[in-house]
Amino acid sequence: MNKEIIRSSSQKGLLFGIVMIFLVLINFHLMASTMISKLMGTNVLRGSLPEARFFIIFLVLYAIWVGWSAASREGKTIHKLFEGLFAGLIAGLTVALFGLLLFYMLETQTDIRKYLTALSFPSMRFFLLDMGELGILVHFGLFTLLGLLGSALAVGLRSQKVAHFKQGVKTAITNLRLRITNALPESVNKYGKYGIYLLLLVILFLLPTRWGSYYNFVFGMVGLYVILGIGLNIMLGLSGQFMIGIAALFAMGAYSVALLNSPIPHGLMWGFWPSLAVGVVMAVIGGLLLGLPIMRLRGDYLGIVTLGFGEIIRILLNSDLLTDITGGPRGVQNIQQPTFLGTPFNDVMYAYLIIVAMAVSIFLYYRLENSRTGRAWLSIKEDALVAQATGIDVQKYKLLALCVGAAFAGLAGGIFAARNQFTGPNDHTLMVSINVLSVVIVGGLNSIPGIILGSFALRGLPELLRELETYRLLVFGALLVFMMLVRPDGLWPASRPDLEEKGSPGLKEDIEPAEEGRSND
Amino acid sequence: MESNLKSPPKLTRRNYSKIIRPIFGLLVFGSILWRLYEVLIAQQAYSAEIWVRLLISGLIIGGVYALIAIGYTLVYGILFMINFAHGEIMMIGTFAGYFLFEATKSINVAAEGSPPLSFSDAYPLISVILAFLVGMTVAATAGFFLEKIAYRPLRKAPRLVPLISAIGASFFLQNAAQLLFSPQVRDYTNPQAIARGSGWSLIINGSRVVITYTGALTFILSILLMIGLYVMVQKTKLGKAMRAVASDKNTAALMGIDVDAIISRTFIISGALAGAAGVMWGLHNGLVHFFVGFLPGIKAFTAAVLGGIGNIPGAMLGGMFLGLIESLGPTALGISYQLKDVIAFVIMIVILIFRPSGILGEVLSEEKV
Repeated sequence: MNKEIIRSSSQKGLLFGIVMIFLVLINFHLMASTMISKLMGTNVLRGSLPEARFFIIFLVLYAIWVGWSAASREGKTIHKLFEGLFAGLIAGLTVALFGLLLFYMLETQTDIRKYLTALSFPSMRFFLLDMGELGILVHFGLFTLLGLLGSALAVGLRSQKVAHFKQGVKTAITNLRLRITNALPESVNKYGKYGIYLLLLVILFLLPTRWGSYYNFVFGMVGLYVILGIGLNIMLGLSGQFMIGIAALFAMGAYSVALLNSPIPHGLMWGFWPSLAVGVVMAVIGGLLLGLPIMRLRGDYLGIVTLGFGEIIRILLNSDLLTDITGGPRGVQNIQQPTFLGTPFNDVMYAYLIIVAMAVSIFLYYRLENSRTGRAWLSIKEDALVAQATGIDVQKYKLLALCVGAAFAGLAGGIFAARNQFTGPNDHTLMVSINVLSVVIVGGLNSIPGIILGSFALRGLPELLRELETYRLLVFGALLVFMMLVRPDGLWPASRPDLEEKGSPGLKEDIEPAEEGRSND
Repeated sequence: MESNLKSPPKLTRRNYSKIIRPIFGLLVFGSILWRLYEVLIAQQAYSAEIWVRLLISGLIIGGVYALIAIGYTLVYGILFMINFAHGEIMMIGTFAGYFLFEATKSINVAAEGSPPLSFSDAYPLISVILAFLVGMTVAATAGFFLEKIAYRPLRKAPRLVPLISAIGASFFLQNAAQLLFSPQVRDYTNPQAIARGSGWSLIINGSRVVITYTGALTFILSILLMIGLYVMVQKTKLGKAMRAVASDKNTAALMGIDVDAIISRTFIISGALAGAAGVMWGLHNGLVHFFVGFLPGIKAFTAAVLGGIGNIPGAMLGGMFLGLIESLGPTALGISYQLKDVIAFVIMIVILIFRPSGILGEVLSEEKV
C-alpha cells in the first residue's frame, strides 16, 4: 500500500469522524433516529428518546457512506477495499475517542450543558447506545466493518457491468420516447406545447382552491420572491449592476400600500389598487433617487452603497424619528384588505393575484430582454465603454434598469404588505436582500425558470421542512455552499446564446465590466 | 463643416451625475455643517467631558473595526471577493476567548485553607494573553478551513459565485454556533483585574471620565497588531509574496511563489486578526452570542470600502474613521443615538460618491500599474 492511499483515506476518515461528532453536538443524531423510528412505524413521544436500535440504523448508513466515498474511482480493487476499511477505521477511532470522553463525563457526572447544550446525560447515554463502555466498541466495530462494506458496494456498483446496464436503460428510454413521438400525428407534436401550457394554467387555477391556506401562504411567498428575483435580475443579470439593497425598494412598495390602507398612523383608506400603483411609483422614485448620485460607482462599491441604502431605510423605519409617519418599530397594523368586484380577498384570491402578477412580470421581463433596451443593457454589462462607443447612453440605460427593477420590487412589496395585513421594519432587513440575491444566483442569472426554481428551493423548501425547524438554516447555508461548488451556473442556467464570440477570453470571467483596481492588473 | 468642428458631438448632454452630484454633495455637507454649527456653537449643548468620553469610545471601537476591516481588505486585495463570512470568523474568536476565560476561571489556585482564588484572577495577564492566543489560533484555523472548503474550488468561477458561497458559509457558521452553544446571550467572564467599567479616572471640568482597562487594552493591542501586520506585509518575505500575488497571480506563480499557499496564509492572518478583534469585542462589550459577528462584520466591511478596499492603511483609517463617526456623529449632529448607523452609512455613501474608490483607493491602483 503506498503512502498516498493511506494519507487520503485517513483524511477522509478523520473528516467523517469529526462531522459525526459535530452532528452529535448539535443533537442531529437524536432527530435522525426519531425520524427513522417514525419511518419504521414506531412513534416517539415528544420529549422522550427513540430506541437505540434506530440510532444504530443511522450509524450503519453513515458508516457505509464513509466507505463508499473513501473508495477512489480508479485503481485496483484491493486498494479501494483497503481505502474503505482504513477510512472506516480512522472514523471509528475518532468517534470512539469521543465516546470515551462522553463515558468519562458520564462516570464523573460532569455537566457541561451550560456550554454545549446538546450534551445532556440522557443524550450521552443514547450516544453510547445505552450500553455504557460496550457502546464505544460497537461504534468502533461498526465503522470499521461497514467502511469495508461501503467500499465493497462502491466497487460493485461502479463496475463496468453496472455502467453498461445503466447506459442500456438510458438508450431504451430514449428509443421509447422517439417511438412515441413518431407514432403520434404531426398536429399533436406541434400543438403539444400549448397543451402543456393549458394544463399548467388549469393546475395553477385549481391548486390554490384545493390545498388549503398554509400552502397558499408558502407558495405565495415563493411567487413574491420570483417577482423580486426578476426585479433584481434586471439590475444584476441584464445591466450588470451589483445591487444588495433591494429590500429598501421592497419596503417602499410595502409601506406605500400599508400607510395608505391602515387606520393607525394616518387613517387614509385609499383602497388596495390605487395604493399598489402608488407603491410601484414610489419604488421607482426610490430607485431613481438611489441611482442618480451613484452612477459613477461600479462593482463592489456599488454593492456596498446599495447595502448602505437598504440599511438606512430600515433603520429610519425602525427609529423613533419617523414613528408618527411610518409607525416606528411596531410597524403598520390592520391593513385594509383589497376587494375585487365587491368581494374581499381571501387566501385563494391572493394566490391568484400573485400568480397574475408573476405572469405579468415574466411576460414583461421577456419582452424587455428581447427588446432594444434589453440588448442595450446586456451590452453595458459586457463592456460599458464599448457600449458607449456604439451610441448607447450608458447612464440613461443603467438608471432605467434600476427603475424597472425597482418597479417589480415595489409590486412585490405592495402585495406582500396587503397579504400579511402587517408590515414592519423587520420585514425589510438585509436578509431579504441577501435572500433575493441568493435566489437569483442559485437559480441561474438571466434565467426565468432558474429564478422560479431558485425561489422554490430557497423559500419554499425551508418552509415545507418545518419538521427540521432547528436545522433549517444550517442546512440552508451548507446547501448554498454545496450548490455553488457543484453547480456554479445555477440550478437552471440561462440557455440564451451568449452574444459574444465563443472562446473569447472575457466570456464568463466577470459579472460586471472591468472596474477600477481590477482593470489595472 | 466648420460648425461641426467647433461644436463636438454632445456626448455629455445627458450626464445626469455631473449635475446631480454637486447638488447632492452640497445638500448633504450643507446640512451637516448647519447641524454642527447649531449643536456646537449656537447651543453649546455638551461640555468637554462628554466629548472626551465619546472620543475614547470611538477610538476603541474604531480599533476593533480596523482589525476586522484589514481581514476583508487582505482577502479582497488578493482574490477580489467579499469574504462575507469574516464576521463569523470573528464570532468564533469571541467564543474561543470566552471558553478560555471560563476555563481559567474554574481552576482554583488558592493555597490550602485560604478562600478560593481562580487562575484568571490570580494571573490576569497570563490568562488574557492565553485568551488572545487561543482566540487568534482558533479563528485562524477556521479561516484556513473556510478558504479550503468554500472558496478554493471556486477560484475560477464568476465573481458572484464565491460571494454566494461565502453567504452560505456565514449562515452555516452562525447556525452551527447557535445549535452548539444555544442561542442565549452570555456574559463574558473578564478577569477581576480588568473587570468591565473599572479603569483610570480623568477629571475634566470637575467630572470624572473613565478610561477603562479593557478599552485601553483593546486600543493599544489593536494598534500594535496593525503595526505588526503593516511591517509584516512591507518587510518580510511572506508579505512580499502576498503583495506579488495581489498584483498578479500568474506572474507571481512564474516567479516561484506558491499562490495557493499564500492565499491560505492570507486567510490565516486575516482570521487571526479577526479572532483578536473578537476577544477584544467580548472583553470590552461583555457579551457573546452566535450573532455577535454579524453587525461588526458589516460595519468593518463598510470601513474597508470607505478606506479603499484592497488597501491596508485604508482599512485602518476607514475603521478608525467609522468608529469615530459612529460615536461622535449622533451627538455632534444632535440626532438620536438610534441613528448612528444612518450617519455612518450616509457619510460612507457621500465619500464614495466623490471618491469612488475610497479614501486611499488610488494608492493601490498606482502601485499596481
